Amino acid sequence: MPQIGSFTLLLALVLSAYAFLVGIIAIVRKDDRLGETARRAGIAVWIAVTASATALVISAFRNDFSLAYILEHSNRALPLPYKFAALWSGQEGSLLFWCWLLATYGFILRLRHKVDTRLVAHASVIMSGVQIFFLLLVNFAAHPFAMTVGAIPPDGNGLNPLLQYPEMVIHPPMLYLGYVGMTVPFAFALAALIMKYPGEKWIHITRRWTMVGWAFLTCGIFLGSYWAYKVLGWGGWWGWDPVENASLLPWLTGTAFLHSVMMQEKRGMMKTWNMWLIFSTFLLSILGTFLTRSGVVSSVHAFAQSGIGVWFVWFMAITFATCVFFYVKNKDHLRSEHQLESLISRESSFLFNNVLLLVSAFAVLWGTLFPVLSEWVQGHKITVGPPFFNKVNIPIALCLLLLTAVGPLLAWRRTSTESLKRNFLVPAILALLTAVVLAFGGMKPWADIANFYALVAISLSVLVAATVFSEFWRGGRVIARHNNTNVFAGMVQLTRRNTRRYGGYIVHIGVIIVIIGFAGSAFYQSKEKEMGFGDKMNIGPYTLVCRSYTQDDNPNYRSETAMLDIYKNGKKIDTMYPQRRVYKASEQPATIVANRSTIEEDLYLVYTGVNPDTGNPIIKAHLNPLVWWIWAGAHILVIGTIIALFPNMQASKQALTEKERARALAAAGRTGSTAGAD
Amino acid sequence: MNLLLILQMSSGQPDASNSSFIFFGCILFAIALFVYIFSPSRVETSEEKSRLSFLYERKDQIYENLRDLNFEYKAGKLSDSDFNSMRDSMEQEAAAILAEIDRLEKLQNGLNPLRGSQNKGARA
Amino acid sequence: MKQTRYAIVRRVGLLLLAASSLALLMGAGESQEARVDYLGHQMMCVCGCNEILLECNHVGCTYSSREIDELKQMVAHGDSDKVIYAAFVKEYGPTVLAAPTTTGFNRVAWIMPFVVFGAGLAIVVFVVRTWKRRIAPRPVAGITEAPPEKLGEFRDRARKDTEL
Repeated sequence: MPQIGSFTLLLALVLSAYAFLVGIIAIVRKDDRLGETARRAGIAVWIAVTASATALVISAFRNDFSLAYILEHSNRALPLPYKFAALWSGQEGSLLFWCWLLATYGFILRLRHKVDTRLVAHASVIMSGVQIFFLLLVNFAAHPFAMTVGAIPPDGNGLNPLLQYPEMVIHPPMLYLGYVGMTVPFAFALAALIMKYPGEKWIHITRRWTMVGWAFLTCGIFLGSYWAYKVLGWGGWWGWDPVENASLLPWLTGTAFLHSVMMQEKRGMMKTWNMWLIFSTFLLSILGTFLTRSGVVSSVHAFAQSGIGVWFVWFMAITFATCVFFYVKNKDHLRSEHQLESLISRESSFLFNNVLLLVSAFAVLWGTLFPVLSEWVQGHKITVGPPFFNKVNIPIALCLLLLTAVGPLLAWRRTSTESLKRNFLVPAILALLTAVVLAFGGMKPWADIANFYALVAISLSVLVAATVFSEFWRGGRVIARHNNTNVFAGMVQLTRRNTRRYGGYIVHIGVIIVIIGFAGSAFYQSKEKEMGFGDKMNIGPYTLVCRSYTQDDNPNYRSETAMLDIYKNGKKIDTMYPQRRVYKASEQPATIVANRSTIEEDLYLVYTGVNPDTGNPIIKAHLNPLVWWIWAGAHILVIGTIIALFPNMQASKQALTEKERARALAAAGRTGSTAGAD
Repeated sequence: MNLLLILQMSSGQPDASNSSFIFFGCILFAIALFVYIFSPSRVETSEEKSRLSFLYERKDQIYENLRDLNFEYKAGKLSDSDFNSMRDSMEQEAAAILAEIDRLEKLQNGLNPLRGSQNKGARA
Repeated sequence: MKQTRYAIVRRVGLLLLAASSLALLMGAGESQEARVDYLGHQMMCVCGCNEILLECNHVGCTYSSREIDELKQMVAHGDSDKVIYAAFVKEYGPTVLAAPTTTGFNRVAWIMPFVVFGAGLAIVVFVVRTWKRRIAPRPVAGITEAPPEKLGEFRDRARKDTEL
């Protein structure tokens, strides 16, 4: 197996080099036949990398500890799904996985080359360039098929117990799909710039691919925080860890792009800006991979310090230089042709949206890298942790939320105050009412800044919900009147006709539900207590009574478990079992959180340890309000994105003109008039 | 270079027959891929985009914007004056592009009188 | 008119002042437990887990329990926040603080995001203003001007095509 893996990996590198170099030659010489061989070489890369990845997985299944990677990241007793996950649980494997995903995206892209042959040919060359870099890494810097040095031990070192959770099996692939997915829009954007692509079709393609990457990134980020919440056992879901931040960066710039791209599609504006947004999104996702892999910034996630950092720095430098070169060379092509009419318009709301998203991305990047900067300037590292990120990002997020509410109500070009009042009055009143009710209903915004933020966040969420609802309602009514149906059928029809817009609104709804969940954390409580038999602890509306505690021992781990009865309003509602394990293979401890989630709050119990004097367990109870909303909102977010990815159902009239156009073009195309189109 | 690497690796393995089997498998795999790459059955020709198709794209975009505007007006989101002035400027843009399309199509038909009849139907 | 607006501003200001002093008064009465909770969230566990001090839940983490005990003692002793932070930095190094301080070079950490924010807003305002001054361009470059009566015809066609 190792031989097959190494061979196919090297073969893939050769094929990528072919696809890259010959691809360029074919484009320069306009040789379609040569170009076709380059395209096929790209497809062959996927086959070769697939073979290689399969070889690694089979080696994991066969417990082939002659491979250093398998020895480090698996053991005989590991359940099969986790053996499969070994593919991405270590540095070398995860880089191979990166390669495979990139090859897969490239494969899909090259299969669909008829969308626009020339554009895809350019994009395919760029994809091959990126592919070469990652294949060089796995072939020469972090070889996944390296042999174990010395005698082969009978069993492997096993997978980190923190990673042995089902969420951990899907979280990394999702995140990687997101990171790698950003390569595709990058390739298309750079391709369009290089070839001075006439017209805006490339931006449609790029936008769709960005949405795909963005959706996976969103899934990955939420799965990651779900994992942190369920497994790390500190009661929170986001720790502003460098690696979490790294995943947030391309997400933020990607979000900015998905908004400002509308300016380009609708009005032909912001071409340069969009180009650079997509370039930075790609560079940031490479930076994210780099931060995870190099250990530059210390982090729970970071794999051991290693030499591959230098490779990444060079790759990013070369990529950046390439972007700058082609931008300077072809920037005339990106000249924008429209004017802006008013500050109160959809256009300017997108501009502000972009500023806020980018400032937030900057703050996150700045905070993440500041320790490195501090070491360089002051000679010592400092910590930039949650207090910093929260203080800086919460106000920005609230401004963004306000824009989310206002933006959709503004018309393109300009909006008169009269129109604004017409659309805004009712939602604004609703939001104010919410604020007043919450303030006097016990939220006390004056007591603490966190309470104040939570109150503002929830009121603004109501504002967003109201404006989104009015968009659906008004649109639905127009269609209902037109088609003689009811409003709800009208709303469905509306969404099908303009999936991106209304799917986008559903995403906004998802976002505000997540935000409401975040706001809940302002009212979190926790308590820690030693719990002997029959001991009681009160937290919020709950009373916990310790029924018993036990110890257990099995081949895999030793465990201690507490058994707690949960009472609410004097009635027993549940029994919970927080546990602590020590895995024998690694002697690593792990907490198994007991969590009881309801729509109002989570009761989250952690077995923190045993009092050595009494032998009684110490239980830490967290009461986390509204956490359920975060996961619910995440689902809606993803559903909205999927809706937005569906093609629009065409109104019959439009479909007709499409057909006519195709016929006219078929006739015109043969005349061979190829005047430059811009 | 490939060959060297493989030979190096297989020399480290005690089971020589197994290694040579893998070796030939790998070679076969590579050959199959090369056959696939260098025997394209059908080549998609790439075409430069014509100015006409570009104009059609622009027309579609402006039409879509106009439809959106109409829709928003009907939904009650715009005041009459906003609507009228915006429709005015967008229609002006649309007219300019339609005129240009018309001109180019006529030019084309003039150059290719044979295709004239085909195109007439398409311009309804 | 101007004066009334000024009066409103002053009144709102007074109200805010009153509210904040109320908050301060309430803060003065807060328990030691609340102070420990607050301070414990401003510092890190230094065992290498990269967790906030009070959120470190390493089973048997010797660092966090020691730090928390020290913190509790200092709070019980009535030390001010400043003194407590200084003592922790002296004992565990500057990385024990969860966020950069507001002194010396560390101030840059706090200032930069807001500088960038300000610059971003300024750029947007500037861009909007220049774009507003731009002359309305033609929809597509290089169009030959059609005669106005012809354009009217095309406009009607556009309107008909896009009617709902």
